[in-house]
Amino acid sequence: MDIRSQVSMVFHLDKCIGCHTCSIACKNIWTDRKGAEYMWWNNVETKPGTGYPTKWEDQEIYKGGWEKNGDSVSLKGAGKFKGLKNIFHNPHLPVLDDYYEPWTYKYQDLFTAPEGDDQPTARPISLVTGEHIDVKAGPNWDDDMGGSPDYARQDVNLEKLTPAEQEAMFQLERMTFHYLPRICNHCLNPACVAACPSGAIYKRGEDGVVLINQERCRAWRMCVTACPYKKSYYNWNTGKSEKCVLCYPRLESGQAPACFHSCVGRIRYLGVMLYDADKIEKVAASSDDQLVDNHLDIYLDPFDPAVVEQAKLNGIADSTIEAAQKSPVYKFVKVWKLALPLHPEFRTLPNLFYVPALLPTMATVQDGIYDSTSKSLWNGVDKNRLPMKYLASLFSAGNTDKIVDVMKRLMAVRLHRRGVTTGDISKEEISSAMDEVNINADMADAIFRLTSLATFDERFVIPPAHREESIEMLENTADVKGNTGFGFKERPVRGL
Amino acid sequence: MKTDFQLLKTLKSRFYMQSIQTKMKLLIFSGVLIFSVTHLYGENSDEIFKKNCSSCHTIGGGRLVGSDLKGITSKRTEEWLLKWTKSSQTLIKSGDAEAKRISDEFGGLIMPDQLLSDNDIKSIFAYIASKGDNPSSASVTSAVSNTSDNATESDIQKGKFIFEGIQRLSNHGPACISCHNINYKGVLEGGLLAKDLTDVFSRMGGDAGLRGILGAPPFPAMTESYKYHPITDEEIGYIIAFLNKVDKDKENQKVSSFNPLLYGGGGGVVGLLIIYWLLWFGRKKYTVKKEIFNRQLESI
Repeated sequence: MDIRSQVSMVFHLDKCIGCHTCSIACKNIWTDRKGAEYMWWNNVETKPGTGYPTKWEDQEIYKGGWEKNGDSVSLKGAGKFKGLKNIFHNPHLPVLDDYYEPWTYKYQDLFTAPEGDDQPTARPISLVTGEHIDVKAGPNWDDDMGGSPDYARQDVNLEKLTPAEQEAMFQLERMTFHYLPRICNHCLNPACVAACPSGAIYKRGEDGVVLINQERCRAWRMCVTACPYKKSYYNWNTGKSEKCVLCYPRLESGQAPACFHSCVGRIRYLGVMLYDADKIEKVAASSDDQLVDNHLDIYLDPFDPAVVEQAKLNGIADSTIEAAQKSPVYKFVKVWKLALPLHPEFRTLPNLFYVPALLPTMATVQDGIYDSTSKSLWNGVDKNRLPMKYLASLFSAGNTDKIVDVMKRLMAVRLHRRGVTTGDISKEEISSAMDEVNINADMADAIFRLTSLATFDERFVIPPAHREESIEMLENTADVKGNTGFGFKERPVRGL
Repeated sequence: MKTDFQLLKTLKSRFYMQSIQTKMKLLIFSGVLIFSVTHLYGENSDEIFKKNCSSCHTIGGGRLVGSDLKGITSKRTEEWLLKWTKSSQTLIKSGDAEAKRISDEFGGLIMPDQLLSDNDIKSIFAYIASKGDNPSSASVTSAVSNTSDNATESDIQKGKFIFEGIQRLSNHGPACISCHNINYKGVLEGGLLAKDLTDVFSRMGGDAGLRGILGAPPFPAMTESYKYHPITDEEIGYIIAFLNKVDKDKENQKVSSFNPLLYGGGGGVVGLLIIYWLLWFGRKKYTVKKEIFNRQLESI
């Protein structure tokens, strides 16, 4: 066992209101610079929708992620032969139009325009060329367009559905959408790291954050192609690629990353997971139906004494192990089995897990009457507005059983809490729902508490970075002992 | 009386002496004059003729490459001869019937333009005139026997090396192949700057003609090239031996019009384009938003 610690995340989609506060917090801190205007390290997508960059999930277009290759995996878009075949050209990159051309407005014209019959207007100008442009697309142009032909109908995940099921999703009164906030997954098996010819990308040993060394990056942009989540972006101004850094300067000082901190719906959870690095290759090469289970099995029980012992031998600090035991991510993913990884079929073993949205049941229109009534307060999950197949395409590599299980668990908690607060649901109905998924009242209450009432410190259990120790790896701190302070402007002397 | 007689005698003898001196002076002067004139006509014209004309023409020696020039001055006017010598092509093109006839008679063989002054040309024809008036009786091509017919294999081989430039000319003149082409197995395709020399041996009058041309090249570019780098007689012999062989073998040396470099290169380009096209085929060529943009444009 090669136990390592990983800062992992859970996003609870039932709570996301699609306000983009996270995106703006990130933009203000990190990407409000020349060459980075189009980068959204954090973005919020509407599903069904095409996402950002458009159709990023379609790896037949972008060739991101890994492919199963016997007992191992190989990159879909890079490799020695593929590189040679293209004379080291990288042909599957998203172009600026696949993102959008960033723009601002010529606000000064509002003040300096000569007097005329019309009001002055601020024309849009490109942040890339500085010229006037006709804005054609933006980073969230598909926002809330759940039924639109341009965006929702182009959703890559619809391919898994039959035409009839697709049509059902786009009928009036049946349409739906939910939000999908995305950041870098800081994967266990990152394709961007594997694809980088310069060796500029690395996964930090202490917390698993994936970073790009700006001094070693040589603008190959292989990471842009390789990352199936398209979370590595090329800065055309600096000639370096950049990506989400999980606000590591904030993490190291015990603060949650900006997008987590600013989240209005409090959908985000962050905590440490312990995993067995020896198993990565085997897990990544699992068959499609085993992929999610094997992925979740790679995370170890931080309460298991054998695991703790091995972790200590591997140099993981006691404080980190303690953080792993308190980790909200461990609870959501491993104990309560409510959260699933996004597109596990890319085989990068992402560390960002999503609790799928328990959407309202489908209404029907019969004889011109809009009918949303059901026998009980909530219909069964089979009447969910979004087909299970669609959610399975997003979160479980097509395994609908996993989605149904999560949905039933969420429903059981809801029924339980309804029983506690109003008592208008029969005890038999509640207990049968809870027994089906093996949830007892205590667990349901705990889920409810962490979902709805969690405090800041419960949502973000950040392990101490131990910077006071890590600096000893780089510098001999004893050399400068006694040299503390800022020195004297005027040396103190005895007497008056 | 005696005095008178003596005086007269003295006067007479003086006069006589004087006249003898004058005659002597006149004699010497005219002698020098005649000598210089004969020198001008004799030595210099001979040299100019040899250098510029003799490779193709004879005076009374029969037809070589060009016509036998004996008695030419009585056949044609001086003005016509001047024009012809300076630029035969211009004269032919101007529509001169006689010039056209001569050109046809010699199978369109072009006489090179001579970059000579009017005086030099006149002196050459004066020189020719001095050799006699009657046109030569030997008006048909002289059956000159070509010694190169009996050349040894090694001579031919030496000539080939000189032609190809493998063996450098002893006076450092340029190799034949740099301007000329011949069809001969094992010899690379030569330059296209000057005429093809495959049949030059029969075309330019065999041994004698070629020896004349190579000894004193009459063509402007060739004249310039070998002005300070003359080809030695020995080398000329080798070259002629080789050209004789080439001429004899020309029927067996049919070079196919298939040019491997041209067709191979063309085929290679087409092949590469197909490979590029195959590689290009599976590529992402447009933005994934193309459909969206197009539909939005249509809806405007």
